[in-house]
Amino acid sequence: MKNLSMILPAVCVLLAASASTQQLPWQGKGGSADKDHQSVRYLFPEQVTVTANKPATVELHFRIADGLHVNSHTPHEKSFIRTDLVLAEPSGVKIPAVDFPPGSDYSFAVNPSEKLSVYTGEFVLVAHLTAQPGEHLLEGALRYQACDSTSCYPPRKLPVAVSVIAR
Amino acid sequence: MKRNLLVPIVVLAALALMVWAGVTNYRHRKQQQAQMQKMEAVLIPNPPAASDEAPYRSPLEGKPAPDFTLEDLSGKKVSLASLKGKAVIVDFWATWCAPCKVEIPWFAKFHDQYSAQGLEILGVYADELDKDNLVKEKADIAKFMTDMHMNYPVLLGGDGIAKPYGGIDALPTTFFIDRNGKVVASTLGLVGRDEIEANIKKALASGASS
Repeated sequence: MKNLSMILPAVCVLLAASASTQQLPWQGKGGSADKDHQSVRYLFPEQVTVTANKPATVELHFRIADGLHVNSHTPHEKSFIRTDLVLAEPSGVKIPAVDFPPGSDYSFAVNPSEKLSVYTGEFVLVAHLTAQPGEHLLEGALRYQACDSTSCYPPRKLPVAVSVIAR
Repeated sequence: MKRNLLVPIVVLAALALMVWAGVTNYRHRKQQQAQMQKMEAVLIPNPPAASDEAPYRSPLEGKPAPDFTLEDLSGKKVSLASLKGKAVIVDFWATWCAPCKVEIPWFAKFHDQYSAQGLEILGVYADELDKDNLVKEKADIAKFMTDMHMNYPVLLGGDGIAKPYGGIDALPTTFFIDRNGKVVASTLGLVGRDEIEANIKKALASGASS
């Protein structure tokens, strides 16, 4: 967690007002949200309590299926699809940034010289937020593209929802 | 007397409460475990270890390759039927597919090496293009082709022909078609260069000569 790099533009924050009338982040183009073909699972939390009107962090835990990897938030190749988190910003909540962990090097057996930057196993994203008093529902999606040791699967969007109680 | 009775009652009540809380907690944990197992069941199953893995074999092998007509980046239509008499590689790929990036330079070299003997390679772009962003997506593919020195045509609309090709669930997926239009070999995922070359030779050797 100490090595998390803060990348301000990483999170695409939408106003809740527009989210209610437009497509939600995981319903747009750029990956299916088909729950039967997800390679990544959202673990927790489902609910967090934070101090109202004070900056807080929420750690979002994800797990990648064994034998698979996903590109990190900063893949070495521009053409590769980075892991990203798209959150709708509900009324009364500001999410100025999300931290992504650095990727680990990975290479295919037949081409060991080319290194990819990937996540494997469990990884944690840290959302920075400030919430007004009350209960808020954070909704969004993790966009990722997974591969195994020889092949790659189409990009996917994994729905994420966290209840934020600010007191 | 009343006090003497009250103490054991309170103790018993406390014990009963503790037992109840323990049982409830145990049940809750069991439910959570069951829920987690259910969630794990929707994950893509672990790929088998390399040693256990049976070689991929498309059901299309030994059958005629499904015909298609797709456009290349310039809009020119290319049909598989028009290539009859040639050995054809149909390679489903995408710019975001890292193992495809490993194979593409091999295909470019094989194209140089075997085109005189009648080999054609078609790179079929498997991903659905964003119609609202078509110009940029095409430009990205064109740049990728240049960067990777792709010397064979890339056809768009691969998602539309995935079904007759058995459903393209992962990339790269490659079909080797002989001069009569029959699928003689197929590969799923990154395989060795030697395996690809052996499949090319198989495709060139089978079927009628052009």
